[in-house]
Amino acid sequence: MQLAANALVAAGTILLVAVGFALVFGMVRFFHFAHGVIFTAAAYLAFVFQTWVGLPLIAAVVMAVVGAAVIGCAIEIGVYRPLRAKVASPLVLLLASLGVYVVLQNLISVVCGDDTKQLRSSEIPETINILGARVTWVQLATIAVAVVLVATLAAVVQKTRLGQAMRAVADDPQLASVSGIESDRIILLTFAIGSALAGVGGILVAFDVDMTPTMGMNPLMLGMIAVIVGGVRSIPGIVLAALLLACAQQATVWVFGSAWQDAVAFLVLLAFLLVRARGFVGRGTQEAIA
Amino acid sequence: MTNPNHGDGSGEILGEWATTVEYFLHIAILIGIYLILATGLNLIAGYAGLLSIAHAAFYGIGAYTAALMALNLHSPILVNLICAMLLAGMLGAVVGVPSLRIRDDYFVIATFAFQVIVFNVLNNWVSFTGGPMGLPGIPQPVLFGWIVSSHFEFLLLVGCCCVAVLWICHRLVCSPFGRVLKAIREDEVFAQSAGKNVAAYKVLVSVIGAAMAAVAGVLYAHYISFIDPTSFTVMESIFIISIVIIGGAGSLWGPVVGAVVLVTLPELLRFVGLPSAVAANARQILYGAALVACMMWRPQGLVGDYSFQKGGGRQ
Repeated sequence: MQLAANALVAAGTILLVAVGFALVFGMVRFFHFAHGVIFTAAAYLAFVFQTWVGLPLIAAVVMAVVGAAVIGCAIEIGVYRPLRAKVASPLVLLLASLGVYVVLQNLISVVCGDDTKQLRSSEIPETINILGARVTWVQLATIAVAVVLVATLAAVVQKTRLGQAMRAVADDPQLASVSGIESDRIILLTFAIGSALAGVGGILVAFDVDMTPTMGMNPLMLGMIAVIVGGVRSIPGIVLAALLLACAQQATVWVFGSAWQDAVAFLVLLAFLLVRARGFVGRGTQEAIA
Repeated sequence: MTNPNHGDGSGEILGEWATTVEYFLHIAILIGIYLILATGLNLIAGYAGLLSIAHAAFYGIGAYTAALMALNLHSPILVNLICAMLLAGMLGAVVGVPSLRIRDDYFVIATFAFQVIVFNVLNNWVSFTGGPMGLPGIPQPVLFGWIVSSHFEFLLLVGCCCVAVLWICHRLVCSPFGRVLKAIREDEVFAQSAGKNVAAYKVLVSVIGAAMAAVAGVLYAHYISFIDPTSFTVMESIFIISIVIIGGAGSLWGPVVGAVVLVTLPELLRFVGLPSAVAANARQILYGAALVACMMWRPQGLVGDYSFQKGGGRQ
C-alpha cells in the first residue's frame, strides 16, 4: 500500500510536468529543456516571496505560479520566437533551450545558494493513514491538484474555442494564421499555461521534500519520458505513462533500492524509443522514426 | 592548486612565479583534454550530424577504466588506454545503434538517457567504482620508463595526444569516409541510395568518437589523480557539445577554437575578482549564454560550417 501511495504521489508530479511539456512540445515540436528550470524557479520564487518579501504563504504560492508563467513567456519571446522567425531546426531550438536551462539554473544557484531551502515549517509533517499507507497532506494535495488541473486542461483543449485554436496551431501554424488565429499569441499562451503547470509541480515538490537548484532536471526527464511513452497528443496516454513510470520506479525502490530509480526510468525510455517510438496511443511521434 | 615551492626559502617572488607558470600549464592541459573530447564529439555531431549529449559518459568510462586498472592491476598507462578505448568504443556502438532508428531530437534524448544511466552506474555501484566518494590515489603515468610527473611533462603528453587525435580526425574527414559522413548529415536517404551502408558508417563514427573521449578520460584520471562521478554529469556533456558548437561544428579547427575560448574565458573571471563560490556558476552561466547567443546569431559557430539546420523549421 505504501508503495502504491508513493507511486501515486510521484505520478502526480510527473504528470504536472509532463502535461505542460506535452502542450508546449505539441505546439512547437522541439524539446523545451528549460521547462525543467521553470519547475525549479517556481519553487524558489515561492521561497523568496515567503521568506525574503514576507508575503503570506498563499499569496507567495500564487505569485510564484504567475512568476513561472512569466518566465516561460519571457523565454518564448526572448529566445524561441526569434529563432522560429529564422526557421531554425528543432535541434537548434533544443540547443538554445539547453543553454537557457544552464543559465537559469546557475542564476538560481548564485542568487539563492546551493544549499537546501525549505518552504514547509520545520516540524515533522503530520501523516494520515489511508488504507494502511502513511501520506502527508502535501502528498494528498499533489495527487488532487494534478488530477484537477490535468482534467481541467483536457477539457479546455477538447471543448473550448481556445482549445480549438491551440489544436489548430499545433497542427499547422500557417493554416491557422490564414484562418485568422494569431499563432504567436496562442503559442505564448501555451507557454504560460505549460509553465504555470510546471510551477505548481515545483512548489508542491518543494513543500514535500524541499528544494535545491538542480531539482528540476529529474522531473523534467521523467516528464519527457512520460510524454514520449504516452504519445504527445494524448493526455490519457500521458496519464497512463506517468502512472506506469511511477510504479516502475517504486518497484525499483523495492527491489534494488532508491538509487537506481533514474537508471530504470531511462532504460524504459530507451526500450520504448527502440521498440515503439510512437508511444502507447499512437499518432503523436511518428516523426521520431527515420 | 598546491604550490610546492611556496615558502621554501627560495623567496616569495620565485614561488609566485612558479605558481603562475603551473597555473598556465594547468589551463593548457585542460584545454588539451577538452580539445580531444570536442574533436571526438565533432566527428559524431559535426560531421555525421548525430547530436549527442552522452559524451561525458564516454569520458567517464575512459577515466574509470584507467583508474580502476591502475589502482587494482597496476597496469601501465598504455595498456589502460587501449582497454579504455576498446570499452568506450563498444559502448559507443551501443549508442550508435539507436541512431539507425531514431531521428534527430529523439536521438538526443536517447543519448541523454545513456548519459544518465552511466552516471547512475558510476555513482551507485559503490563496491566497484567507489560511488560518490570517487577513486583517489591514481598513480602518475609511466610511459616506456618515462615518469610523467611535472605539469610540463604532462602537457607534453597531452599535446602529443591532441596532435594524434587531430591528425586522425583530419585523415578521416579528408578521406571518402568523411565525405560519406557529410552526405549522411545532409541527406541520409540520398547517401543510402548512392549505395552507402549508412548504418555501418553511423555506428563506426560513434565508436571512433567514443574511443577519443576515452583517451581524454584516461589522461584526466592520471592527471588529476582523483576522480568522482561529478566530473561526468549531463552538465559536462552539455559543456562539451557547447565547445563543439560555439567553436564550429563540422570543421577540424572548430573544436580547437571552442576549447581554447570556453576553457580560458571563465578563467578571466578569476581576475575580475569573483568569489570562488560564484565562479563555478558564473562559468556555467557564461557558456550557457554563449550557447544561446550562438544559436541565435551564429549557429555555425566561430569557424564551423554546419549549423544543425537539417529539416529546418516546420514551414
